Amino acid sequence: MNGKLWQKVKRYRQIYILMIPVLIYFLVFSYYPLILGIVKSFQEVKLLGGSQFVGLANYMEIFQDSQYSQAFVNSLIVGCGTFVLQFVWGLLIAVLLNEIRTKVLKSFFQTVTYIPYLLSWSVVGGLWITILSPTGMVNGFLELLQGMDYSPIVFMSEESFARMIMIFTGAWKGAGYFAALFMAAIVGIDGSLYESARMDGATRIQQIFRITLPMIKPTMKVVTVLSVMGVLRNFDQIFVMMNAAISDKVKNLLVLIYEEGIIQFNVGTATAAATIVLIATLIITTIVKKLLRYEDIYD
Amino acid sequence: MKKRVKINNRLTGGWAVLFYILTAVIFLLMFLPMWNVLVVSTSTALDSSQSGIKLWWNSFSLEGFKYVFEVTKMAVPFLNSLFVTTLGTVIQVILASLAGYVLIQRDLPFRGILSSFIMITMMIPGDLTLISVYQLNKQLNLLNSYQGLILNGLISGFSILMMRNYFETVPYSLAESARMDGAGELKIFLRVYLPVSLPGMATIFFMEYVARWNSIMLPATLITDESKYTLPLMLKQMILSVDSTSGTMAVPDNAIMAAIVVSTVPLLLIYIFAQRFLLEGIQMGAVKE
Repeated sequence: MNGKLWQKVKRYRQIYILMIPVLIYFLVFSYYPLILGIVKSFQEVKLLGGSQFVGLANYMEIFQDSQYSQAFVNSLIVGCGTFVLQFVWGLLIAVLLNEIRTKVLKSFFQTVTYIPYLLSWSVVGGLWITILSPTGMVNGFLELLQGMDYSPIVFMSEESFARMIMIFTGAWKGAGYFAALFMAAIVGIDGSLYESARMDGATRIQQIFRITLPMIKPTMKVVTVLSVMGVLRNFDQIFVMMNAAISDKVKNLLVLIYEEGIIQFNVGTATAAATIVLIATLIITTIVKKLLRYEDIYD
Repeated sequence: MKKRVKINNRLTGGWAVLFYILTAVIFLLMFLPMWNVLVVSTSTALDSSQSGIKLWWNSFSLEGFKYVFEVTKMAVPFLNSLFVTTLGTVIQVILASLAGYVLIQRDLPFRGILSSFIMITMMIPGDLTLISVYQLNKQLNLLNSYQGLILNGLISGFSILMMRNYFETVPYSLAESARMDGAGELKIFLRVYLPVSLPGMATIFFMEYVARWNSIMLPATLITDESKYTLPLMLKQMILSVDSTSGTMAVPDNAIMAAIVVSTVPLLLIYIFAQRFLLEGIQMGAVKE
C-alpha cells in the first residue's frame, strides 16, 4: 500500500468505522446464508450428525420428485393468472381514477383500492376465508339469488375453485399497488399532448386509448418485470390460505421448500430446490426483459 | 373553440355509462369485503354464525373484541409485533443513513468495492435462502427470541441506496467547507446532511414499518414458542383452528374479524398520516428494478 492511499484511509477512518456494523451484518445475514445454502444443496445430512458431499444427487432427486413438479405447475398457474388479472384490474383502476374529477371522491376511491395492498396476507387471507365460508358473505349473496333451498358452497375445500380463489384474492390485494404505479405515470404525462388532441377534435375515449395508454407503456414494462421476478416466490398467500383439501392444486414451490427444509429437515433437497428457483427466476426475468426490450426504457 | 375543448375533456354517451358501471363494480368489489369485516367484527357471535350477506348490523356488539383480548390473548402478539417492528425499523433507518452517507464520500478509498458489496446483497433473495437463514439463527441461538426477529432483515441494500440518493442532492462543497473548518464527520452528518434527508428517512421508516408488521415468512421460520408470536402468526393460527375443525367452529367469526380489525388499525393510521411517503416509496421501489 503506498503512502498517499494510506493517508487517505487514515483521514476517513471515522467513516470506515461507521460502516463496520453494516458490513458485518451483510456478511453474516446475507452472504453466509447464500453460500451455506449452495454448499448444503450438494450435501446429504447424516442421521448421526455430520454431512457428506453427494454431488448433484439432491438436484436429480428434485427433477424426479412429482411433488416438486406439481408445485412448479401450481406456482406458474397461480402466479401468471394473478399477474394478468392484477395488471388489467390495476390499469382499469388507474384509468377510472383519472376520469374522476371530484377530488374527495378520487382520493376515497384510491384509498379503498390501495388499502388491501397495505395489509398482511394473514389479514387478507383470514378475511377471504371467512367471507368464502359456508356462512360468509359470498354464500349469502348466492342464497339471495337462488332462494330458500340453497345449500352453501364450501369454497375453501373445493379443488375446482382453489386456484381461481388464489388468483382472485391475489389480484384483489395487489391491484391498488399496480394502480398507484400506473397513476404516477399518468400524472407525469405532458398536459399539452391532451390539449392539442382536443384541438384536433379527439374525444376523451380516443385520448385515453391514443395518449394515456401508449404513454405509460414504460411503466407497464416495469410492472411486468417486477411481477415476473416474484412469480415463483409467492409464499405468504399460500402459506395462510392453503388447507389439506386443496393443497394439491395450490401448494407452490416456496411453501413446499419451507415444509421440506424447516419442518421435515430434508435440508439437502430443500436447498437444492431453492437454488433451482433462484436460477429459474434469473432465467425467466432475463427472457422477459429481452422480449420487452426492457433496456430501451432508460434511453 | 373554447367550449369544445372543455367538452372533449370528459367521457360522453355510452362511454360515460360504462365508466360509471365499472367504477361502481370495482368500488363494491374492493369495499364490500372490508365493510363486511367491520360489520361482522362488531356483531354478536350468534349473528356472525348465521348465514346471510351481513352488510348491516342486527345488533351491535363488541364481544368479538372482548373475545380476542380475553380468550385469544391478542395483547401479547400485538405488543410483540409493536416492539420488534418499531425497534427494528428505527435501527434500520439509522444504519441505512450511516451507510448511505459513507457511499457519497467522493475520494473515499475502496468506495467502489463497498458499493458493490452492498448492491450484490440486493440480488440475494431472502426468501430463497430461508433454510440456511434458519440454520444460521439456530447456530446463533436466535430461534424463538426477540433478537432474532429484530436482527433478521435489520438492514437492506435498498434503504441504503435510497438514503444515498437523498444525500447526493446535498452539494458536496458544503460538506468540504465544513470539513475544512475542522468539523468532525458526525457533526457534518448531523448538521449538513440529516436535515435535507428527513423525507427520505420518513419514506424508509414507513415502508419498512409496514413490511415488518406484515412479515409472515421469517417469524414462521424463527418462532415456534407462542409467547413470542407476532400478529400474523397468531392470526394464521386463529384462522387455521376454524379451518381444521370445520363444523365445530372453535373461534367465532366475529372474533376473527375483530382480530383482523385490531391488526389493521396501526397500518391504517400509518396510511392516513404518511400516505405521501408510502406512495413515493413504492414508486422508488419500482424504479430500482
